[in-house]
Amino acid sequence: MDFDFSPIVDNWGFLAQGLLITIELSVATIVAATLVGIALGLGRVYGPGWLRVPLTFYVDSMRAIPVLVVLVWTFFAFPLVTGITLPPFWAALAALTLHISAFVSEILRAGLNSIRPGQVRAARALGMSGAQIVRKILFPQAVVRMLPAYGSLLSVTIKDTAIASVIAVPDLMRQSETIAAQNYAPIEVFTTAMLAYFLILFPVTRAVEAFYRRVAHLGRS
Amino acid sequence: MESTAAGLRKNGDQPPVVQYDGVVKRFGSLTVLNGVSARVNKGEVVCLIGPSGSGKSTLLRCTNALEIADGGRVVFEGQPLPKTEGELRHVRQRMGMVFQNFELFPHMTALENVAVGPITILGANPAEARAKAQMLLEKVGLGAKGGNHPSALSGGQQQRVAIARALAMDPDVMLFDEPTSALDPETIGEVLNVMKRLAEEGMTMVVVTHEMSFARRVANWILVFDEGRVIEEGPPAQIFDAPTHARTQSFLSHLGWNG
Amino acid sequence: MTLDWNVVWQYRGDLAQGVLLTIALTVATMAIAVPGGIAVMLMRQSHVRAVSFAGTVFVEFFRNVPLILLVYWAFYVLPILTDIQFSAFATGLVAMCLNVSAYNAETFRAGVNSIRKGQLEAAMAMGMSRSQAMRKVVLPQAVRRILPVLASTWVSLFKDTSLVSVIAVGELAHTALQIRSQTFRVLEMLTAMAAIYWLLGYPQAKIVDWIHRKYGVTE
Ligand SMILES: Nc1ncnc2c1ncn2[C@@H]1O[C@H](COP(=O)(O)OP(=O)(O)O)[C@@H](O)[C@H]1O
Ligand SMILES: [Mg+2]
Repeated sequence: MDFDFSPIVDNWGFLAQGLLITIELSVATIVAATLVGIALGLGRVYGPGWLRVPLTFYVDSMRAIPVLVVLVWTFFAFPLVTGITLPPFWAALAALTLHISAFVSEILRAGLNSIRPGQVRAARALGMSGAQIVRKILFPQAVVRMLPAYGSLLSVTIKDTAIASVIAVPDLMRQSETIAAQNYAPIEVFTTAMLAYFLILFPVTRAVEAFYRRVAHLGRS
Repeated sequence: MESTAAGLRKNGDQPPVVQYDGVVKRFGSLTVLNGVSARVNKGEVVCLIGPSGSGKSTLLRCTNALEIADGGRVVFEGQPLPKTEGELRHVRQRMGMVFQNFELFPHMTALENVAVGPITILGANPAEARAKAQMLLEKVGLGAKGGNHPSALSGGQQQRVAIARALAMDPDVMLFDEPTSALDPETIGEVLNVMKRLAEEGMTMVVVTHEMSFARRVANWILVFDEGRVIEEGPPAQIFDAPTHARTQSFLSHLGWNG
Repeated sequence: MTLDWNVVWQYRGDLAQGVLLTIALTVATMAIAVPGGIAVMLMRQSHVRAVSFAGTVFVEFFRNVPLILLVYWAFYVLPILTDIQFSAFATGLVAMCLNVSAYNAETFRAGVNSIRKGQLEAAMAMGMSRSQAMRKVVLPQAVRRILPVLASTWVSLFKDTSLVSVIAVGELAHTALQIRSQTFRVLEMLTAMAAIYWLLGYPQAKIVDWIHRKYGVTE
């Protein structure tokens, strides 16, 4: 077996562009999905009854459907329904946000529900309003308690961005496919890409774990 | 009983701070409070004693409307407790509450725990609220611990912060629900001392406790609970030395109380 | 735009076959990745440094690369590495198993570690042998911790099988996408594909919730 890594060296700029897109899509998805997920989660836990039912249905549906299916539908079918064609990057961002935000809301809900009722009692006894209790007492503690699961979700999100390659988002995955095919060097190129993903993901998950260990006591009532 | 008791009691000639008129509370089919009538005068320390499950905590929670009584009424400073949540919040702001499990907010430092009420609820100036919080921490002997999070405090220290947190709202009455039951024996004393000092300063206090020597020394009035009723009440000397009700006698002897 | 939902009915046989293959891939992966995960967990606990290190590398690596990339990689690398022509299904199965075994190994490790050492000691103090204590005391408790996580992994795995469509394994996603390109009934086929996944996945998600409620440990 002879390996030839020259296609990677020769095309490093092309691959680096892909890496940049991967990072951009990851960050944009994480920010958007976190914001939407928080809104969904708060709506599910504290919202009026008529809102909780559809939100729960939405979240459970996203847990049931593969992200690939959401992605393909958003890119190919959504324009047929609405007449609005999204460029691949934006379609990927929309689809990933739809999907990941459901999981953010699940994690937030679990965090909020895990806080013992005495905390609410203490805040009510002080005279706080419902909104103040959520904002000042429950939400900050839930955020701390969410961290381990949220860290796993960050990792899942970054990995899921690779699926955007199927709708031709020029991310690291897609650029690697291109180089691999052009140079008949799939093993070298895909192995390198795997290492690149690993080098992003491993530190991210480790950093979240380390951060959680430092702040865990802030969520322990 | 009211009329004879009034003369015996501290500030018995003035209107009470809290008055319970036949309070009834049910959880489903379970009647937890079955017509409790009692009063708490200004500057008094009233201790609630009795077997566990007899409804003491529930009465305390009905006082600041964490639970809403199903029958009878709770009168606070001459006004029956209001009905709407917004009005109830104002009432709660004038009653401090201390819990068995402290319930400090873990994401805030000791100082922030004490200052959060005045800042968020009363809209106090943050700098002033923090200065006052520092003063209250000093008062409970924790002036140097303001920057610590609850996780870095012992149980006794946490409970003293919790007392300071309640005091920061300048309450007219303090409600204590077994404040020392979750503490290691060696830290119980420090919390009881703070409570004793508070009593000496004239704070009106309602205290659920199993610390009979505290009740004996500090209380002005004892209410003995059993199965959702006050079965006996009186000054400590009478309750502890000459209990008239058989169940009071058996309750006290179970606790090993022998005068 | 005229819609022709008939196309879904017309290709019902192909779609049903896709569903069967999706289910087969899910079941086969879990059937291999449970013992696989246990093996990797045991590797990590080995006293031989090289073995435990290899176990750790396996877990960290395969949890930290995208599955779709792993699928491509397996597609090109396996035949060269082993000199055997793998079917697309077998290739997909290998990639899925590497990924899920790594997750399971971590699940098992966390489950066993969560049982306090005192439990094992208490059982042995009662006169049980070490293996009796493991079987009768530690494992039943660990199972309660592990089962909910395995259930969640199962649903993720079920959804992830859609990714082997990129190497033309004829499971549900690939079948539906193929029919779409043959018939040009894009909206109908993509919607039908989502609906079928939903019909299969929604009850699974609900069962997972139920398992979490039944066995979930709240601390
Ligand atoms: N929220 C509740 N729901 C149902 N039952 C309750 C609730 N709170 C208290 N109880 C019941 O009411 C009874 C009295 O409780 P409590 O007031 O806590 O007693 P004490 O403080 O004297 O030990 C107990 O039987 C308890 O189980
Ligand atoms: Mg109680």
